[in-house]
Amino acid sequence: MGDDIKMAGQPLSRVDGKLKVTGAAKYAAEYIIPNLAYGVLASGAIARGRIKSIDTAAAEKAPGVIAIITHLNAPKPPGYFGGKESSDPRTEGGEYRVFYNDVILYSGQPVALAIADTFERARYAASLVKVQYVKEPPQTDMLSNMDKAVVPKESDPDYNRGDKNAFDNAAFTFEQEYQTQLQVHNPMEPHAAIAVWEGADAITVYNKTQSSPIAQEDIAKAWKLQKENVHIVSKFVGGAFGGASRVWPEEMAATIGAKKIGRPLKVVFNRDQLFNMVGYRPQSLQKIKLGADKDGKLIGIHHEAYGNTSTYEQFTANMTSLTQALYACDNVSTLYRLVPLDVSTPCWTRAPGEAPGSFALESALDELSYTLKIDPLELRKRNYAAQNPDTKQPWSTKFLNECYERGAAQFGWEKRNPQPRSTTNGNWLIGYGMATGIYGAWRAPSSARAVLNSDGTLVVQSATADVGVGTATIMSQIAADATGIPVEKIKFELGDSRLPPAIGQFGSLTTTSVGSAVNDACVALRQKAIEYLKKSQSSLQNTPVENFAFGDGKIKTKDDAVSISYADLLQQQHLPSIEVTVDSKGSEEADKYSSYSYNATFVEVGVHALTNQLKVNRVVSAIDAGKIMNKKTARSQVYGSVTWGIGMALTEESVIDDRYGRWMVKDLADYHVPVNADIPAIEVLFIDKSDDILTPIGAKGLGEIGIVGVAAAIANAVYHATGKRVRDLPITPDKLV
Amino acid sequence: MNEQEPFCPNESRRSFLKKSTVITAVALTPAAAINAANNHWDEHIAAAIENVSLSVEINGTRHTMDIDPRTSLLDLLRENLHLTGTKKGCDYGQCGACTVHVNGERVLSCLTLAATTDGSKVTTIEGLANGDELHPMQAAFIKHDGFQCGYCTPGQIMSAVACIREGHASSRDQIREYMSGNICRCGAYPNIVDAIEEVQKGGQKV
Amino acid sequence: MNLFQYVRPAEQKTAIAAVAAEPTARFLGGGTNLLDLMKRHIMQPEKLVDVTRLPLKGITQQGNIIRIGALTRNTEIAEDKTILQNLPLLAMAINAGASAQIRNMATTGGNLLQRTRCPYFYDTAMPCNKREPGTGCGALEGFNRMHAIFGFSDKCIAVNPSDMNVALRALDATVVVNGPKGERKIPIADFHRLPGDTPEKDTNLDKNELITAVTIPISPFSKNAYYLKVRDRNSYAFALVSVAAALNMDGNTIKEARLAMGGVAHKPWRLTDAETFLKSKTATEENFQQAAQIAFQGAKAFKHNQYKLKLGPNTIVQALSVASGLKSV
Repeated sequence: MGDDIKMAGQPLSRVDGKLKVTGAAKYAAEYIIPNLAYGVLASGAIARGRIKSIDTAAAEKAPGVIAIITHLNAPKPPGYFGGKESSDPRTEGGEYRVFYNDVILYSGQPVALAIADTFERARYAASLVKVQYVKEPPQTDMLSNMDKAVVPKESDPDYNRGDKNAFDNAAFTFEQEYQTQLQVHNPMEPHAAIAVWEGADAITVYNKTQSSPIAQEDIAKAWKLQKENVHIVSKFVGGAFGGASRVWPEEMAATIGAKKIGRPLKVVFNRDQLFNMVGYRPQSLQKIKLGADKDGKLIGIHHEAYGNTSTYEQFTANMTSLTQALYACDNVSTLYRLVPLDVSTPCWTRAPGEAPGSFALESALDELSYTLKIDPLELRKRNYAAQNPDTKQPWSTKFLNECYERGAAQFGWEKRNPQPRSTTNGNWLIGYGMATGIYGAWRAPSSARAVLNSDGTLVVQSATADVGVGTATIMSQIAADATGIPVEKIKFELGDSRLPPAIGQFGSLTTTSVGSAVNDACVALRQKAIEYLKKSQSSLQNTPVENFAFGDGKIKTKDDAVSISYADLLQQQHLPSIEVTVDSKGSEEADKYSSYSYNATFVEVGVHALTNQLKVNRVVSAIDAGKIMNKKTARSQVYGSVTWGIGMALTEESVIDDRYGRWMVKDLADYHVPVNADIPAIEVLFIDKSDDILTPIGAKGLGEIGIVGVAAAIANAVYHATGKRVRDLPITPDKLV
Repeated sequence: MNEQEPFCPNESRRSFLKKSTVITAVALTPAAAINAANNHWDEHIAAAIENVSLSVEINGTRHTMDIDPRTSLLDLLRENLHLTGTKKGCDYGQCGACTVHVNGERVLSCLTLAATTDGSKVTTIEGLANGDELHPMQAAFIKHDGFQCGYCTPGQIMSAVACIREGHASSRDQIREYMSGNICRCGAYPNIVDAIEEVQKGGQKV
Repeated sequence: MNLFQYVRPAEQKTAIAAVAAEPTARFLGGGTNLLDLMKRHIMQPEKLVDVTRLPLKGITQQGNIIRIGALTRNTEIAEDKTILQNLPLLAMAINAGASAQIRNMATTGGNLLQRTRCPYFYDTAMPCNKREPGTGCGALEGFNRMHAIFGFSDKCIAVNPSDMNVALRALDATVVVNGPKGERKIPIADFHRLPGDTPEKDTNLDKNELITAVTIPISPFSKNAYYLKVRDRNSYAFALVSVAAALNMDGNTIKEARLAMGGVAHKPWRLTDAETFLKSKTATEENFQQAAQIAFQGAKAFKHNQYKLKLGPNTIVQALSVASGLKSV
């Protein structure tokens, strides 16, 4: 690392900020492609059955129409239509294939693609497609289909440690059911794709994706193309939250349509189509049983969770995993089941299992605290896990106690009157609530390339993505520390499948994985530079590597005897550039440890005594995510997580009319993403201590930890305010009547 | 075009094409159109005839063109003029990503028919900076990290500038309320409020 | 969106004639509702007559009457000094609706004609008697959390989504319209309809009639007025229920009360029995509770909107409490 002030950790403003505030940043639908045609998908009206007939005559005659594509005339991607199994190894079953056949699997399913020379004409033509169906009664209500629950094929088996019957010996037992809602990603940028065929066997797709390598692989598989002949470009992503981590019908429809018309084609989903064509967080039913002694020591925990999936594919997001690792308890059992319904497949959604799972577990802990008359924070401290209670491994790092202490102090938790409905401010009932969050910290194999130019600039590349967290900024900071080159002279490139392959932006993995790869590539690059330096100056021949330092764009010896800029070094050596590409992965040493990020969230809510209007008054989020790479962007990320938690707790829900299997909440007027007026002051406290076992840069992962536990903390605060426990999210005013 | 100037071309052409007898048509229409109507190509002909002429000043540049009357101001900017800084989030007036200024007021370009802006002055995010010099609000958004993914950002900034000009930025609560028409799914709201508050207090001309 | 003809006549007469000439033609105001509905193919006019440049803007006071031109934007009303001084309830209601951008666009006339937000009306794949008479009411036994508890029929249980309309109802506004048969004045109580057997008709306005103005008598309610809207988020959401409360007070005694509700019926719902009860009563929580109970006699809920039977009266009590100065927000 360089000798100067470390860039990592500095609250650097985003390196791509100017592009974003001037409107110059280009998102998927915004590339200017000559001869571009517009495609609009027509959505189906029923949830289950078959297409009896499709009348496309009026649509085809409409002005400007180039083609109307249905399952009857669609070009057949050989690997997509022929493939029996999903091309996505992360889900079990057969993926939904657009225009594959006449079978209707979910309401709103695309039944036709209207292609025209302008958007207006394509949209109108799509409305002219008339479809007749053979209807079958759909099953979309999870609670009345619990008998159909299945053990997921691709998930942890039922879990048991210790004695299942330990509850029998507990002084206190507690049992309760919790439900979470259909939550929809609703990124501000609609999913979009522009497909440009370059001959019969090569294609460029501009799309919205959290992983250009995954999109490349899926499209190559579908069309049976050489992977290198599929070029994915996704430089800016207007929010994703898990929903852009696989290929969806708009991308496949664009490739199919472009093939059909022999012309570049753009397909963008309408907002209502985004509600169930690009995944969503499945609803959940969870049962928690707790046993404790009179001092609050947990004797037993049982957590079972049911989530919905589609009939054609198993989407898993285990909501019970966190229960296995969070508290020191000898006797823990969990099980996880899926209920297949006539709906589209759900998708990973910010802290997929942990967000709903923690709502159940952390609500139950809160309920137990009232039974035991032990402060909720104290109850959690009494069950603090000093090692992983499941694997018995040591933690690589764990600073949850620090989160508790600092969070509670900042919040003023000690002022909490333990009695529910005891605190008021005018007509508002005031409540305090808290919860713990836990999220696995991982590092996935990733590659990065570092290219040093003779003008002293550094280009670092990796096929990862930036859905908004500030990847390019953080990576530039890491590269600056590793090379001693100032951030202004570093350019980080991402969002292109032709760059060195890397993990996509999900699972809180980017900084740990790609950040480590960038660090490793830059360290290798500076080694290479040292070799050139040694070659040029014989006096340095025997200087050990650790005697070199890097800063201000220079390589120096620590005794300052030699100091040369990278630019001068390359020019002296007549090198236009030097580059290294590094494949990077976690150490074997790290496998001996258990790694998680943690948080403690403290919330104050106000509930109007008469009208039940709900307001979150303030939030303190104390976070242990290892070393924080950029305190400005990191704080923003936690703001986002907390905002998501507030939405999950209070405002967001989509609803299906089970008579029709139809989503009836599918626009942003009815689906209430929190607005500015919903979000109070949020104080973020980072413990900011390096985890040097998991990664060379000390990071543990931040993307999801901030949401875990937030909904429970709010629900707990609402109970404290009102004395009313709401166990099904969201907590809207009507539920407090 | 001034406020009162009407736009009524081809007032009866469409219904005529759809409903008139051939006799009436002969008096008014080129032979090709009659032929087209008889061959059920009336929609095609009508489409050509019903284009609307539009003259609008966007970021200081006057644009004069014929457009499909269905074109929203948002699609005109993005698809016809390639000014993609203005974003399409929902297209139904429910997210604020498409906010632009028309004659100085913040409006939703997705619910504005482009044809209705004839004779108007439109300012988009591309027209806010003074050359390379960022508008104070743009600079404040960078400084306070008032965005993550950046997709709602142009709408937020256009809305924020208007919020101050309107006099609706006198307190954090007022900013929150008057910025609630701009949804940020990444949750940058506290930073957005910081940025607006700073610009408002800074007293710079916005 | 279907193809339509766009015209922008310079005169009211021409505009009315242009709409009258085409069975599906519509006046285009701010477009915030009509464009939305057209994009979803819920309304498909073949001609749009842009009236936004007709001289129907502005707010004037003539004696005891305030006249608001039909093309006056919502923002202009909410910020107008005459309105804020004399009809603060109207400003409060307007500011409780939509967003700053939409209020900049939405016209007074257009807001009066705002159509329901019922999700069955909004989904062309679903039954809806309002959108497509004879197809049935999807909400009746469906997802009806937002729906009516007063004045509904078995054909339709949708609610009027406007906040402005609730205040206009409380303030006894009059809607001035002009059409092929000339001008007429429609009291706000008769302007919006109950669904009955013809839920496709939201109002008693003829298709070819253009709203030209709204007139509101200045009444002694300006000091004690409050508009309270309960919703799922703190801004930019439609009402679960809302209450417009205005009181003419003499000390602690209510000389006269005006009460109307939103989110409960197919039209802005005036609570006349409660008003009568409150006359000459003192401003106490007990009296407000009683007024709220009286107001809710005859209310009937469906599967998902039972909460309105409790939330509604509570909201009335709170609105009256704030309006009277008995309690804070």
